[in-house]
Amino acid sequence: MAKFEPVLTRLWDVPDGHTLKVYEARGGYQAARKALKMTPEAVVQVVKDSELRGRGGAGFPTGLKWTFLPKGRKETFMCVNGDESEPATFNNRILIEKDPHQFIEGIAISCFATQARVAYVYLRFEYINAFRIMEKAIAEARAAGHLGKNIYGSGFDLEIYCHRGAGAYICGEETGLIESLEGKRGWPRIKPPFPAIEGAFRKPTVVNNVETLCCVPHIVERGADWFKSIGPPKSYGPKLYTVSGHVEKQVCVELPMGVTTNELVREHCGGVWKGRQGKAAVPGGISMGLLSAAEFDVPLDFEAIRTTGCLGLGTAAVTIIDDQTPIVDVLYNTARFFAHESCGQCTPCREGTGWMYKTIKRIKAGGGRLEDLDVFANIADNLGISPGTTICGLADGAAWPFKNALAKFRPELEDYIRTHQSAAKVTPLQEQVTRGERPALFDPPPAGARPALTTTRK
Amino acid sequence: MATILINGEEHTLPEGAALNAIQAAQLFGVDIPYYCWHPALSVVANCRMCEVEVGTRDAKTGEIRMVPKMVPGCQTPAKDGTVIVTNSEKVREHQRLIMEMLLINHPLDCPVCDQAGMCGLQDYSYEYGQSVHRFVETRNINPRKEVSDQIQLNQDRCIMCTRCVRFAREITQTNELQVMRRGDHAEIATFPGEPLDNPLAGNVVDICPVGALLDKDFLHKQRFWFTSKHETICTRCSSGCNTVSEENRGALWRTRARHNPEVNDFWICDEGRYTYKAANSPDLLTAMYVRTQDKLNVAPVDQAVNTVAQTLTRITREGGKVAAVISPFLTVEEAYLLAKYVKGLNAANVLALGPVPVVGEDQTFTPDPRKGRTGDTSFVVCRPFTIRAEKCPNRRGVEAVLAHFQGSVIDHATLADRVGKKEFKALYVTSDAIEPAFTAADAQKLRPGVDFLVVQDVWPTELAAAADVVLAGATFAEKAGCYVNAQGRLQYGKAALPPRDGSLPDLDLLCILCKRAGEGPVSSRDVLRDLAAEVSAFAGVASGKVPVFGQPLGAPADGQAEPHVYVEPWLITAKARGERFFVDAPAKS
Ligand SMILES: Cc1cc2nc3c(=O)[nH]c(=O)nc-3n(C[C@H](O)[C@H](O)[C@H](O)COP(=O)(O)O)c2cc1C
Ligand code: SF4
Ligand code: SF4
Repeated sequence: MAKFEPVLTRLWDVPDGHTLKVYEARGGYQAARKALKMTPEAVVQVVKDSELRGRGGAGFPTGLKWTFLPKGRKETFMCVNGDESEPATFNNRILIEKDPHQFIEGIAISCFATQARVAYVYLRFEYINAFRIMEKAIAEARAAGHLGKNIYGSGFDLEIYCHRGAGAYICGEETGLIESLEGKRGWPRIKPPFPAIEGAFRKPTVVNNVETLCCVPHIVERGADWFKSIGPPKSYGPKLYTVSGHVEKQVCVELPMGVTTNELVREHCGGVWKGRQGKAAVPGGISMGLLSAAEFDVPLDFEAIRTTGCLGLGTAAVTIIDDQTPIVDVLYNTARFFAHESCGQCTPCREGTGWMYKTIKRIKAGGGRLEDLDVFANIADNLGISPGTTICGLADGAAWPFKNALAKFRPELEDYIRTHQSAAKVTPLQEQVTRGERPALFDPPPAGARPALTTTRK
Repeated sequence: MATILINGEEHTLPEGAALNAIQAAQLFGVDIPYYCWHPALSVVANCRMCEVEVGTRDAKTGEIRMVPKMVPGCQTPAKDGTVIVTNSEKVREHQRLIMEMLLINHPLDCPVCDQAGMCGLQDYSYEYGQSVHRFVETRNINPRKEVSDQIQLNQDRCIMCTRCVRFAREITQTNELQVMRRGDHAEIATFPGEPLDNPLAGNVVDICPVGALLDKDFLHKQRFWFTSKHETICTRCSSGCNTVSEENRGALWRTRARHNPEVNDFWICDEGRYTYKAANSPDLLTAMYVRTQDKLNVAPVDQAVNTVAQTLTRITREGGKVAAVISPFLTVEEAYLLAKYVKGLNAANVLALGPVPVVGEDQTFTPDPRKGRTGDTSFVVCRPFTIRAEKCPNRRGVEAVLAHFQGSVIDHATLADRVGKKEFKALYVTSDAIEPAFTAADAQKLRPGVDFLVVQDVWPTELAAAADVVLAGATFAEKAGCYVNAQGRLQYGKAALPPRDGSLPDLDLLCILCKRAGEGPVSSRDVLRDLAAEVSAFAGVASGKVPVFGQPLGAPADGQAEPHVYVEPWLITAKARGERFFVDAPAKS
């Protein structure tokens, strides 16, 4: 295989790559000029032909999503999903910080294709730096005529607004994002209606991930066939993999889709840390489940990953877990995350995530029972949009690590329960965690912390 | 013609109805349990209790294709060819799981909970839940708080159905309630210093399926199963909202809204909700009085009524004219009997409409199917709700009676002037208003104008104190009968309380005066039949029976089938639903 030429990351190492000057000097905004001379339908067709699949998690074909917009609509909104709250995922942030103009060009072309005249970039609360860079880049692009009224004399207008969230994982779910953008509580909406029919402000809306849109200028410039020459069937194109966890070097690398966990660890991360072995890995954000060491040679693409029982490729955020980490600890962290992030709307997710967290906390503290594992299995089987019991996919994400762990690491879990019947205290921190003192996220705040006016404590 | 298949049985859907699976199933007697769905609120599908299996049947081949996963019934349109399965093992298993989950952080404090007996959690636990659950961790403890001076929120009992939030957002559009925090620590909350104090706030207590939102007015006073429920009409304003009055030991304890899509939909206003207190007042008249030697003395009923009858007959014989004030708080039956009696004495006698209290302006809440909503509204029919400024239930009914007997309606002020000019020898004033309607000024104006003054009321007013005979009538809660509301709709309300000691319902008093044939207490239905036969505007109710949702005055009998009255599932007794309990499944490991 010929050496892979970086596509999305080509400007990352160029000095001042984030400025308009450098971006234009390297052929920037040519794709936008080209696209705006085409018809919107033709742009949609190119993206459709490229079989680009969404990078936000679900892997939905982007071109197809755009064709769901109703014909003859008057107004369309584009929402770019930069909430990036999936644990250990950080490719969107670097994409925006290092090369904001590639992103803006992607937005411009996609908006032209979908005839959206307003695009909202929904950024994660913590991404203050990316937010500032985007604001500056938008101003630059506007001044240079890449945004605003009548772009390149094509009659197409576009404004981009950046919006920062308030620190909630659920606002990355597309309808949660829309609700939050509208100024409401980020509670996902029931579907149908899908956002393409009725989204932000009750208008047809496209929601796409940052990385998805960053691919669009390259597809328009070099054609669908070029795009399909990269990666395995059904998972075409370049992909940013972020690798973290127990590796020597945590990286964000751009590769054709379909690398394996082993390749990532060996060739890009300098191996598992401290000379240890990997025991498990998260394939694409913890919502996607767990890989066992035996599955480290499975290609990480949209299709092959499913053979391992994982939910999907997700955000391609790989987290390596070494052989000295109990799976109970992994599940404990996972359960805590989902119990904290469940929006609290659907009964199974609200109560199920809290239940799983409390139980795994007890197991970790040395009070587990073998029956607990069956309870986990039953809850996990009945959580999420796959069995049809919740509104959004967060619940699936909460269930999958448990499902996979029970399928792949059950002997270890049973062993842990058998051998940890007294609270084995390792470090002061762990002792605190065992006692449930840390973190105090779930304990009701003290009485004084609430407005005294309307609240009385029992 | 659209047909659907529910649990293997074929049913024909009514023409043009946009129903969801819950509504369609309800129509054909199949229960799909639910919490968060409410017919007037947008669909959010968050409680997940109503999950069913659905599919479609091919119209040509008859082949059934099921959707592989379960879907919420509230979100599923019932269309031609829709297949709904509500009783499969998969669905029941899911219902058990949801009940288990709803209860893991619930305090299970039914013995001290006001909702007990009318609680969605209790009923569904029994019907769809299981007696064991697998949760062994510590429960969350959520604070109890006040959302207004009137309403308290027991957050630990809340199941996060968000009905209350949607009510404040979609119906009153006042947005006081919000959800705060996330996950199983989510809470319903108000903003500091912004209590839930809109004029319809009390309805959140009615729609809360569990004991989370409770009315402090009712708190710990009665148990739901001790009270008898009576279908009444609110007399606070001319809207004529349909209500349920709960009575026990001769007193009223609470009023709740009763569904009537033509009038109040599912709501009542707080003013009407707490009007019941007037019927429990210790200050109500508890005796009849007759003036002898310039002093009002307590008199037996027959003496009081006879004094009225004899005196008025004498005055008529002597050529004196009698005027009567027919209160807009009287039922149409009472107004009819009084008019008939007074006009029967002498056709030249004069009838006038009693004082019509008006306070402020009409206040209308107009729910919008789109504004402020986030859920699906395709099954919601939005109806406005109005609190009227006219604070009496039956001006239109009385006017219809007056128009028949007299051709024109004379208002109270005009009559008072004519009384002042000594046009009449006797005056017969009725009131039965919720609050005392006559003051010392009225007494000064009316008393000197006539020789003989009869006051029929429930309150010892200054006017009553000046009267020659005081007849103690029935409060709004003690009388059954019909009212015509502001939209001209004739509605029937039952009595919720027996007559107070010392009083006699106005209908009986007037029957005696009219010398109506028959013995014992009269039924308002018999009088309504007479009224319908005599006054053409009422001809539509010739049978004496008023349809459940009422009937426009002047309209012919509609002869329609019983309409569908929405009642929350947890307010229907298991008996009424038929014994359809499931055998508890073996405990899961
Ligand atoms: C709980 C949850 C969290 C999500 N978080 C994100 C996120 O942070 N960023 C993102 O791009 N997509 C996220 N998604 C996926 C979005 O719902 C949506 O599928 C995506 O933005 C569509 O863009 P794409 O088609 O370009 O992938 C999340 C989904 C769920 C269920
Ligand atoms: S599945 Fe969980 S996170 Fe998603 S809408 Fe329901 S409660 Fe909220
Ligand atoms: S307080 Fe009652 S109505 Fe409101 S969300 Fe809780 S259970 Fe539902």
